[in-house]
Amino acid sequence: MNISRLQNILSAGQFAVTAEVGPPRGANSEVIKKKALLLQDCVDAINVTDNQTAIVRMSSISACTHLVNLGLEPVMQMVTRDRNRIALQSDIMGAYSLGIRNILCLSGDHQTFGSEPGAANVYDIDSVHLIRTLKVMRDEGMDMSGHDLDVAPKMFIGAAENPFADPFEYRVIRLAKKIQAGVDFIQTQCVFDMERFKKWMKMAYEKGLTEKVHILAGVTPLKSAKMARYMATRVSGITIPDAIIKRMESAHRETAAEEGIRICLEIIQELAGIKGLRGIHIMAIDWEEKVPEIVKAAGLFPRPVIA
Amino acid sequence: MTTASVRPSTGKNTGSGNIPDLKLSVFHCFNALPDLSVLDIPGCELSSINLPCSSILREVVLLKAFESGADAVVVLVCPEGSCDYQQGNLRAKKRVERVQKLLKEIGIGNDRLRIHNLSRQDIDTAEKIIRQTLADLKKTGQNPAPQPVGSEKR
Amino acid sequence: MIVGEQKPLGEIKTNVSPYHRLLILGCGTCVKTCFAGGEDEVATLASALRLAFKQEGRIMQITEQTIERQCEDEFIREAAPQVARCDAVLSLACGAGVQMVASRFPGVPVLPGVNTTFLGVLEKQGLFTEKCLGCGSCFVHQFAGVCPLSRCAKKLLNGPCGGSRNGKCEVDPETDCAWQLIIDRAKAAGSLDRLVDYIPPKDWRTSYAGGPRKVFREDYVI
Repeated sequence: MNISRLQNILSAGQFAVTAEVGPPRGANSEVIKKKALLLQDCVDAINVTDNQTAIVRMSSISACTHLVNLGLEPVMQMVTRDRNRIALQSDIMGAYSLGIRNILCLSGDHQTFGSEPGAANVYDIDSVHLIRTLKVMRDEGMDMSGHDLDVAPKMFIGAAENPFADPFEYRVIRLAKKIQAGVDFIQTQCVFDMERFKKWMKMAYEKGLTEKVHILAGVTPLKSAKMARYMATRVSGITIPDAIIKRMESAHRETAAEEGIRICLEIIQELAGIKGLRGIHIMAIDWEEKVPEIVKAAGLFPRPVIA
Repeated sequence: MTTASVRPSTGKNTGSGNIPDLKLSVFHCFNALPDLSVLDIPGCELSSINLPCSSILREVVLLKAFESGADAVVVLVCPEGSCDYQQGNLRAKKRVERVQKLLKEIGIGNDRLRIHNLSRQDIDTAEKIIRQTLADLKKTGQNPAPQPVGSEKR
Repeated sequence: MIVGEQKPLGEIKTNVSPYHRLLILGCGTCVKTCFAGGEDEVATLASALRLAFKQEGRIMQITEQTIERQCEDEFIREAAPQVARCDAVLSLACGAGVQMVASRFPGVPVLPGVNTTFLGVLEKQGLFTEKCLGCGSCFVHQFAGVCPLSRCAKKLLNGPCGGSRNGKCEVDPETDCAWQLIIDRAKAAGSLDRLVDYIPPKDWRTSYAGGPRKVFREDYVI
């Protein structure tokens, strides 16, 4: 019996499609509901970020609950930056009781980047500990202290990996570690540097890791040359080859967005041919309305319905 | 380190009413310049402090010169690369920079303390430096931290 | 050593302004080695303060004394005569020393003149870097001699985050990524495969999180 719709899709060997939305900087749930509804038919699950880039937003657990109430399938992102093991375990139990079935474990961007740089951070446990905690809760019905839970939260466990960060040779070891800890699926940082991504996938495939975990490649459509340059230089962990930046710069202002979508579709097509890759994760920041168009143009619509 | 006051105060006799002489302390490395007594500069009370090496200078000594009422302090050191003790002049430079920063924070002004590299025995350049310092001082004015009450100088 | 930085002159001046007979008390151990509060720093600061007050037309009486350490009574006692003659003490010791002096001289205002920062080393001329968090249960041998608690901004125990780039940390591009260091050292020692092992969550009870700590060496008490 599968835990979530996302797990259904992946276990059935289908090429999965997920996307991402960010909660609002305020208490208004309407925006996130609207964004999520835009995506509902063209993705298998929707990630909801957790105070991403350390900017204070409506909590992931509450935003995910809004989505559950709309009949949608959220992936609740959880960072270890802001909450200790007590709060995290507590939220996992609460999330399950509210109908949330997928959790993505992250350490989280450092607070100095965000809206509260003077805040004390937590980092009581790391993302690998969080993965292990979820696995033990699900499969052994125990919390971290060894206490038997009355109802065990059963989550489909995800984590992130960044094939574009250093040290490169360790990235696959880290993937193996997360698998050992119990991760079920991985979403990677967005792919622009295809060569490096293929190299990483090859290493993972050769080590047999792609059979043990479902890997989804991140993709992001570029809106403008400015966005491309910003992401390449100011966002940590993202690499964009010069060739792509040049393409965005050569395009006219009015057609730059189209070029960005074109590049995205080319990337998706190339990704689909990579051995061991099980899907894509579309991160269209502030451009969620383009996701249906991208999914359709990529030939991934309609989404399969697994009973 | 020997201290010698080269020129006694000629304060009120300068002919410009009762404008006191400007007080200048010159710390000089013995190798850069052994002796300032040959200099004759009116309107200036010159204190010459002879050092075996400019690296002997501690920050507190420079500050105490100002505490004693100096309007400006000049440090003369050998050119970079020719210090007999390798890095003495470099250390002196760092100390001068730290004290300049302090003087600015105090509000006295970092320009009252200057360091110059001097080719050995170049008394002419030394005189030029001193005269320039005095000329600049006339614009900046006297040390704004006055001598304590009861002192004979001012 | 404990590393600290002397407070800015302006801040110190403001804090000592209410007083008239100040004792600047230096410390000859850690703060001396990081140029924050040793004998030389005491002399320089005393002179700078006198000048600063003079500039406002004020005479501030300042006496100076430096003792070996301000974290031990044996040395603090030496300062008693000077303390008796002042109306405030400006201590240039680390936070531990300031508090010790304050507790030994009740009724005398004791002000800190140094911002104590971290447990660290002199990495190279002029550069002091943080090395130890004081977690109370050292396990650096599991990380090829590099502590991920004090040197990784996210205290990660199971490998680097996605922000490690060119061996540098996403938080400060001049800071080495601790995990890059750990991996490099493990590789050089031929023990990279050990880094696959799962390191469990830290028990923080032995760290400051468990409350202010003490070490009592009863075996040394007569």
